[in-house]
Amino acid sequence: MVLRIRLARFGKKHAPFYNIVVAHARTARNSRPLEVLGTYDPKPQAPRPGDTHGRPWKDIKLDISRARYWVGVGAQPSDTAWRLLSMVGILEPQYRVGKIQGQVVRADSAAKSLVPEQTTRPAVEALDRVEEVKAVET
Amino acid sequence: MPLRLRSAKFSPSSASSQFPSCPPTRPQCITQSAQLSRDFSQTSCQQITLRRRKFYEWMNGPGRQLKEPLPDSTNYLGAYDKYGNLVRAGPGWQRNNAKKEVADNAPAMKAEEVTKDPEAEPEKAPEGQEDLDELELAIREGEAKEKDSKAASKAEKDDGKLPPETAEDLRPFPLNQYFRSQPVLSEDLREAIYKRVKKDGATVSLASVEFGVSNERVGAVVRLKQMEKEWIAQGKHLAIPYSKAVLDMLPTTPFIDPSQAANKGKRPITHEPINDLIVHPATRQQLFVPVSESRHFTRVDAGKAFDNALLPADARIPHPELIQAEREVSQGLSFDERLRLAEARLAKDQAEKKRLEDAKLAEIRAQKVVPKRRWDFVFKDVSVESVGRDGRDYKGVGWRYGVPHEDRKKGQVKIPTKVEA
Repeated sequence: MVLRIRLARFGKKHAPFYNIVVAHARTARNSRPLEVLGTYDPKPQAPRPGDTHGRPWKDIKLDISRARYWVGVGAQPSDTAWRLLSMVGILEPQYRVGKIQGQVVRADSAAKSLVPEQTTRPAVEALDRVEEVKAVET
Repeated sequence: MPLRLRSAKFSPSSASSQFPSCPPTRPQCITQSAQLSRDFSQTSCQQITLRRRKFYEWMNGPGRQLKEPLPDSTNYLGAYDKYGNLVRAGPGWQRNNAKKEVADNAPAMKAEEVTKDPEAEPEKAPEGQEDLDELELAIREGEAKEKDSKAASKAEKDDGKLPPETAEDLRPFPLNQYFRSQPVLSEDLREAIYKRVKKDGATVSLASVEFGVSNERVGAVVRLKQMEKEWIAQGKHLAIPYSKAVLDMLPTTPFIDPSQAANKGKRPITHEPINDLIVHPATRQQLFVPVSESRHFTRVDAGKAFDNALLPADARIPHPELIQAEREVSQGLSFDERLRLAEARLAKDQAEKKRLEDAKLAEIRAQKVVPKRRWDFVFKDVSVESVGRDGRDYKGVGWRYGVPHEDRKKGQVKIPTKVEA
């Protein structure tokens, strides 16, 4: 029997809430699993009070060591579970899009946090680079 | 022929003859409205009714004073007599003078609101916490004193000065003479409360005692001030002109800055009684408890008589530490001894507060945050062992299996009962 790490949908209408479970692949979605590894609340939470420029966040509870164990003994995560597990470094990400997006976010916030003096410098460097390219072309 | 009827019924001379001192500013307004009215107008009443006439009489007579708000004062109906004269104004006072005066030294007036005069005796400072009226009176007296001394310094403007509002002037509804407009916290006071709690790290109850503002109000001030600062940081627009206009029209509790030399001996003006016992629903019933004469029946027992979980009144009041301090005085402890005890209590409070804050910080630090495009994914490490041996422990992680939902059960509270500040 194939073991799967997957999500079991609980919660109400328009208010989803998932258990991250280890279960046999052919059992029903919400049947009693072998183990509940954690929960995933897909509803974005508002930034915490006092967090002025805070971003909305999603609440995930996960027993990381136990998840690593189940992956080690051959449990197969579903796509969504794979995405979540790859975020904490248990698996290699299946799709790189998310990682690249994460890098973009980080680069964005880094650029925003720079003081104006430092932001002008990369612009100057970019100009230099353009000139180099022109020199190479000629 | 409504027009002719109108002119026949309404005679502007009769309206103005009653108030010779104030000529009507708009005697023609009704005739103008007749020209403006169209055939297709759906307005039900086009005639001059008695009510309309009375209304315009009032508007051009006593009500004229209320059209332009009096600067630096409340503008309630109760402050005027039926002829539209300001009751508390002295014989030498004139409305135009007051306006000019305010315009002349507008910035100075704002500064003087904060800085109080040094000659006020500390024993005369407001201390009546039991009676709201007494408290209010004390506040007004304090303001009156301030204004008196100001007037003494400027002797030439003395007779033209407007005295502060009395209790009668703070009645917005003339027919309901028991309703009084209560003072609200001034902007400076709110800022000071926020600074004391957030910057100096004082507990809410300590700030409440220091400023004479109830615990709940201190909490609300801190939370709203924090939101305001967040909004400013985010570049949101605040409705400052609106709040200024409203605060100008309401009686406010000023802030006395103790750090300034001018306020050396002064105590802060008490905004409201802070140590009122909240009536617990369990104590609303009348109760007769037979007790043997030999039994020592204390307040703790009285609390238990109403409800087993009910604490005694001593523990339920907002500031039990004030009672403790008074008790120490009555025990005859020396000042140094009392100071030492108070400091020990304060240190204990601060340590508890720090412990809670540290625990919260540690919890946040233990989380793993993965930033993605639209939101952060926050991972909290949990243990699968928490479900217990039978897998049914309510402390276990996740939605529970084989357990019915209880959200339709009686007595389930679904609205949030607290906010994170």
